Amino acid sequence: MKQIITTILLCISLCSYANDSTIMMRGSRRIPEIELFGKRPLKEIGTTQTKMDSITLKENIALSIADVLTFNSPIFVKSYGRATLSTVSFRGTSASHTQVTWNDMKINNPMLGMTDFSTIPSYFIDDASLLHGTSSVNETGGGLGGAVKLSTKPANAEGFGLQYIQGVGSFYSFDEFLRLTYGNDHWQTSTRVVLSTSPNNYKYRNHDKKENVYDDEMNIIDQYYPVERNKSGSYKDLHLLQEAYYSNNRGDRFGLNAWYVYSNRELAMLTTDYGEDTDFENRQREHTFRGVFTYDHLGEGWKVGAKAGYIYTWMAYDYKRDLGNGVMAHMTRSRSRINTIYGQANVEYYIGSQWLFTANLSAHQHIVRSEDKNIILQSGDKGIVGYHVGRLELSGALSAKWQPTDRIGLSAVVREEMFGAEWSPIIPALFFEGVLSRPGNLTFKLSGSRNYRFPTLNDLYFLPGGNPDLRHERGWTYDAGLNFAVGKKEVYTLTGSLTWFDSYIDDWIIWLPTTKGFFSPRNLKKVHAYGLELQADLNLQFSKDWALSLNSTFSWSPSINIGEPLTAADQSVGKQLPYVPEISANIVGRLSWRTWAFTYKWCHYSERYTMSSNDITFTGRLPKYYMSNVSLEKSLHCSWADWSLKGVINNLFNEEYLSVLARPMPRINFQFFVGITPLWKK
Amino acid sequence: MKIMIKTLFKHFALCIVLCALLCGCMKWEYGLEEDFNASGEGLFITNEGNFQYGNATLSYYNPDTKKVENEIFYRANGMKLGDVAQSMIIRDGIGWVIVNNSHVIFAIDINTFKEIGRITNLTSPRYMHFINDEKAYVTQIWDNRIFIVNPKRYEITGYIDCPNMTMESGSTEQMVQYGKYVYVNCWSYQNRILKIDTETDQVIDELTVGIQPTSLVLDKNNKMWTITDGGYSGSPYGHEAPSLYKIDAETFTIEQEFRFNFGDWPSEVQLNGAGDMLYWINNDIWAMSVDDTRVPVRPFLPYQGTIYYGLTVNPKNGDVYVADAIDYQQQGMIYRYSKTGELIDQFYVGIIPGAFCWK
Repeated sequence: MKQIITTILLCISLCSYANDSTIMMRGSRRIPEIELFGKRPLKEIGTTQTKMDSITLKENIALSIADVLTFNSPIFVKSYGRATLSTVSFRGTSASHTQVTWNDMKINNPMLGMTDFSTIPSYFIDDASLLHGTSSVNETGGGLGGAVKLSTKPANAEGFGLQYIQGVGSFYSFDEFLRLTYGNDHWQTSTRVVLSTSPNNYKYRNHDKKENVYDDEMNIIDQYYPVERNKSGSYKDLHLLQEAYYSNNRGDRFGLNAWYVYSNRELAMLTTDYGEDTDFENRQREHTFRGVFTYDHLGEGWKVGAKAGYIYTWMAYDYKRDLGNGVMAHMTRSRSRINTIYGQANVEYYIGSQWLFTANLSAHQHIVRSEDKNIILQSGDKGIVGYHVGRLELSGALSAKWQPTDRIGLSAVVREEMFGAEWSPIIPALFFEGVLSRPGNLTFKLSGSRNYRFPTLNDLYFLPGGNPDLRHERGWTYDAGLNFAVGKKEVYTLTGSLTWFDSYIDDWIIWLPTTKGFFSPRNLKKVHAYGLELQADLNLQFSKDWALSLNSTFSWSPSINIGEPLTAADQSVGKQLPYVPEISANIVGRLSWRTWAFTYKWCHYSERYTMSSNDITFTGRLPKYYMSNVSLEKSLHCSWADWSLKGVINNLFNEEYLSVLARPMPRINFQFFVGITPLWKK
Repeated sequence: MKIMIKTLFKHFALCIVLCALLCGCMKWEYGLEEDFNASGEGLFITNEGNFQYGNATLSYYNPDTKKVENEIFYRANGMKLGDVAQSMIIRDGIGWVIVNNSHVIFAIDINTFKEIGRITNLTSPRYMHFINDEKAYVTQIWDNRIFIVNPKRYEITGYIDCPNMTMESGSTEQMVQYGKYVYVNCWSYQNRILKIDTETDQVIDELTVGIQPTSLVLDKNNKMWTITDGGYSGSPYGHEAPSLYKIDAETFTIEQEFRFNFGDWPSEVQLNGAGDMLYWINNDIWAMSVDDTRVPVRPFLPYQGTIYYGLTVNPKNGDVYVADAIDYQQQGMIYRYSKTGELIDQFYVGIIPGAFCWK
């Protein structure tokens, strides 16, 4: 409770501070960036969204989207370490309950159901929206927690443009960013490249093990907690993104986005590992191509669009050990190939300014080959443990949105999905929005939906353990909230929201060990997730040279197991789900003066339980943590180029912290960036 | 204007200071060590913990006082046991705890639980068997070698190559000794019992049984017993009805096969102290005399709606201990029954209690 109060007070203090400051600054100079508030788009009636603009996304271009979400959203980011698997989950649900789209194409791994956000560089995303709970039904099904919508946008370039940024950081980390753009009245093209490499061997004090000092008789005469390096954690990630957009200025728009990823990452050793890092290799490699072709036609009061896409993913996992003769032999050699063909059509039709009707149909055809293990069969021949399956996933939605007056908006969505040969029941979602007060733009929102999530391909077919008899997960979600927006033209804007959510998820799928020594998924849990989400954003320009922005979020999300006890000894009923924090909060403050900008980022996660019984033990503790990052940026201009210099300090207070057991996070570390944008002669 | 800017700066600085103060709240509790003196009879329980989370633990139960102490390794040593505690064996007052995914075996004092040494850099250790004071075998999964170690020097001294296995398909498990020969069951994607000459450290023979023999014991009549799990549906290695095998250690031949129903998942064959009663898990807990020629019709303890994960019998009085991992994410429960099947005690231990070791 203390931390709830502390965190709320901190958010409130920042907001109230902003209010006070704003009052003081009334009458100050004009700022063109600040907009007044207009009518909300019909499309967004009743939805709960967190939008991230390009300033937020590009604040530190070396960050992945996982890092951006950590400091700018109320959702939980579970990170296994730097440049290691990072998943996100909304409102106390699991990572596979978060649906992720890139330019409207679903990019959740069909085998695992989740998305690794550490492999999505923020430099490649121009627009990001989080659709909380019910709001995700507008975009896709299966988002029992919500959906993350990632997009790219035309660069709006005139002629040729080039941007190059070089980043150097602690632990011999190097980041290169290059963007080439070209644009004219009809065409916009962009080529982006990101290359990140690091041995990632940061130091940490290992509290989980002790080093022994022996005498000649092999008696322990001393022990100490060693200072170790993050062993076997190196990474090399290359991303290429090619975009081309064409508009005939008569309502037709074409777009092509092609994104290639090469990732070669070691999986860092646990803190409790007593193997020699030189004797073991634990590595994951990935080649992924994602391509989307888009066509849109804008008419008078209507719009049609079509998309076609393709995803190819090759993933390799190799676990090897040195046999003592320098030969690294495979202990595990796992390969998977995923081919996904995607198609989508959508129609929007407006009747006046009060009605909007939409229809949307998308198809994803997955073809997956998973080879997990090579064995010797009883016959002496070689055999492979794995599966090879295809699955067609259809998702269609119809919606009607109605705004009878300026103060009221209603929206209804009906979605239906088919995975394989199985159809989901109808997925309905209803939204209401009403303006309570024009001064302050105080708006009340209400929404509710039913939702389903089908088992992933691994859930059904993985060998060993896949369970073809799994049922789909079912959920109900209700949201109610208040939004406000105040501002003074050219002086400040202050927006905020408070959302109450309540969700029930039944037949939650979890993987459990079996007596045969492998894991197998079962429909086991019934979960009640509920809580509050608060957001407050302030933008303030109090003189010609000075500007300040503050963005904060707070989330309180109990996620409670309400299923039947498995046995009389089961202590998990009525308890918070493991690894789901009850409280998360973050604040980002940015103060700019002329060509200088100072940013302070702060985030907090409450203690996460590691047991379903919520017992806190010596070996299972994940203490709450607070993290602070700062950066200072300077822009320079000369006749032939714009320059930017930026210094970043991560983990400012040099904290020792964990997001997941046995996986330490880096302590204080530094980054420095130099960017150049040549100014071509027109 | 300047005053206002100053005020703003003050507020901003205040916020940063506030954040900084909050940042000071992260506290780590480590370095504390407890003194134990657990003389007398006792039962160690190795709790696997969750794979890749390094939260394996060791519990200790005193059957006389019915008192259990959990996380004794951490509490005695101020450090974690590691990732996936697989098994434990005691020899001459020293307990050897095999921690599979930490690539380590810890040697501990069985009364104080303090570490006295460790053998590191093993591939994926499963079980340990002592040949003499200076030689022991350590079986592995994902390695086609059995490691030879010197327990006195905590060193790996050699390897036993296992035939017809690659590193990837390597799996050796529990060991029993008859004379100078050690027998080991090969489990994952295997169907064999290997015979090792302890003088030459060579595999000299092998016996084919059913798919995936899970465990191995040697009874009072020098008969080995192993129980197969039969593989699983869709396995390229095959899926068959599991069996319980009685194998003569002298001739290294199968004397009898007791076949279970297709789809059954038997495991954990165990013996009582006298070596004349056999116990195993197959949904229920089953018991039969080693001299019986038929598997009993009724179980010793009926299924209670959960998956039993571990089993042991008190060698002194025949009490049966059954481990229930519940949902595998919370403290498991140990049920203690008398040899006539009456519940005597129950107590919580660590996450996924998988193996036992009697003091």
